[in-house]
Amino acid sequence: MYQSQSVIGQTVGSKDAALADCAWPAEGLDAIPDWVYTSQEVYDREMERIFHGDTWNYVALETEIPNPGDYKRSFVGATPVVVSRAQDGSLHVFENRCAHRGAEFCRHSHGNANEFVCPYHQWSYDLKGNLQGVPFKRGVNKAGGMPRDFRNEDHGLRKLNVTTHHGVVFASYSDKVEPIEQYLTPEILEDFNVAFPGKPLKILGYYRNEVPCNWKMYHENLKDPYHATLLHSFLVVFGLLVAGNKSMMLADSKHGRHGIMGSAKTDDLYAAVSEETKKEMRSFNDGMRLRDERFLEFIKEFDSPWSVTMQTVWPNLVVQREMNTMGVRQIIPNGPNSMIMEWTMFGYADDTEEMTRHRLRQGNLMGPSGFLGLEDNEAMKFVQEGVRRSSSNVNVIKLDSGKIGTSESLISEAAIRAMYQYYRGVMDF
Amino acid sequence: MNWIKIASVDQIAADESLAIEVQGKQLALHQCDDELFITDNVCTHQYALLSDGFLEDGCIECPLHQAKFDLRTGQAMCAPATVGVQTYPVKTEGQDIFVAL
Repeated sequence: MYQSQSVIGQTVGSKDAALADCAWPAEGLDAIPDWVYTSQEVYDREMERIFHGDTWNYVALETEIPNPGDYKRSFVGATPVVVSRAQDGSLHVFENRCAHRGAEFCRHSHGNANEFVCPYHQWSYDLKGNLQGVPFKRGVNKAGGMPRDFRNEDHGLRKLNVTTHHGVVFASYSDKVEPIEQYLTPEILEDFNVAFPGKPLKILGYYRNEVPCNWKMYHENLKDPYHATLLHSFLVVFGLLVAGNKSMMLADSKHGRHGIMGSAKTDDLYAAVSEETKKEMRSFNDGMRLRDERFLEFIKEFDSPWSVTMQTVWPNLVVQREMNTMGVRQIIPNGPNSMIMEWTMFGYADDTEEMTRHRLRQGNLMGPSGFLGLEDNEAMKFVQEGVRRSSSNVNVIKLDSGKIGTSESLISEAAIRAMYQYYRGVMDF
Repeated sequence: MNWIKIASVDQIAADESLAIEVQGKQLALHQCDDELFITDNVCTHQYALLSDGFLEDGCIECPLHQAKFDLRTGQAMCAPATVGVQTYPVKTEGQDIFVAL
């Protein structure tokens, strides 16, 4: 797009609404107002009530920090944190903010350390986030220094609660949040355990990209099976998801905040589509063929009826299992109009070399420049630009109207409604 | 023992430490509860001089990150130090203080 067609960084003033002016449209769950995507005050309340509220936030895979002293930088919402493994093997998550003057002291994305020392005034912290030492705490030559009642215990790093399930590490600001297994709910946990059966993982690589859209759009996109066959040519041409395939759009039955979009491909390499249906499918292209058909081989390794499941775990995790391509995507909100997506692609430690090659080859399916996924980023950018700059204010969510939660049909927005029903409760909208 | 004169008693006040250099070694002379001790002067954790530190309960506390070392044994008493410092025999004769290396 020409720069002249894109007004970057501009939100119409009325769209950056104050909380007091945020009234949900009369259509209720059949509508989403634009201000949920564009208001700074709404975004700030989301940080406080959602990401810093009673939720478990994905922060790391255990296999990224296997040894004592290993650490990685991560995020809870937009808040930078460090995930660290102490000498006793325990996991700790604390804010990447020196307790003294606020410096983001940890500067490497990952590494191994005996301690963390802030570069500014050399305050040092142990691997659990406790304040260890303050330079010239006693002053010099009996002058200066900290007051006598200064206690290191009162000036450690801001620590979060930590939990793990089958090698996946979550953090929370809340003391009230339920155990992770309950948090995920039985139906999500069952599919989570397909990707994470508890056996050791092997990291295959990372992608990191900015998507110029509100963070909730990524959840919505994966709760919106309607777009899948319309936007993604690749899915349709190569038979990964064709209207009529066995599929599901599940929302957790407790809150409707987590979801699974799942489908089962047929064993055919290319889709067989009737002439009648083709007319309806703009994205279908008969002529497309793969140069290397190994790309789409599906090695059946999972005890699951689904060849693909895309899980959304509220508020910041997507678990991707597309045939033999496995990944976790961490959503990092970056203001109302932007989010960072951090992709960690993985296999299992007991994979053969051939299987690892296969996963890497098939990994080109997804990612910021994958055969599918690229279009999602683009579409969500279009939506964000539209909602920021237009004069109308409401999105229409009427497919399968009246249904909230799990739906049998792909032509449904019931899972998006379930998410917003929960969201409105938490946010008081 | 090969005793080397390093200071005189009027150079060091009660509960204070003094940096001294002997044969290329950086040492610290400490007076704690009317008793004299000599240790290496550089902390085993990061580069800081123990002679700028704080004496308390028979230990020298590093000024930089508050690692503590036992004055008698040199043992590291708390994090962040894990390795002790060397200690050296000390004696006085009249006004003179001696160390044995």
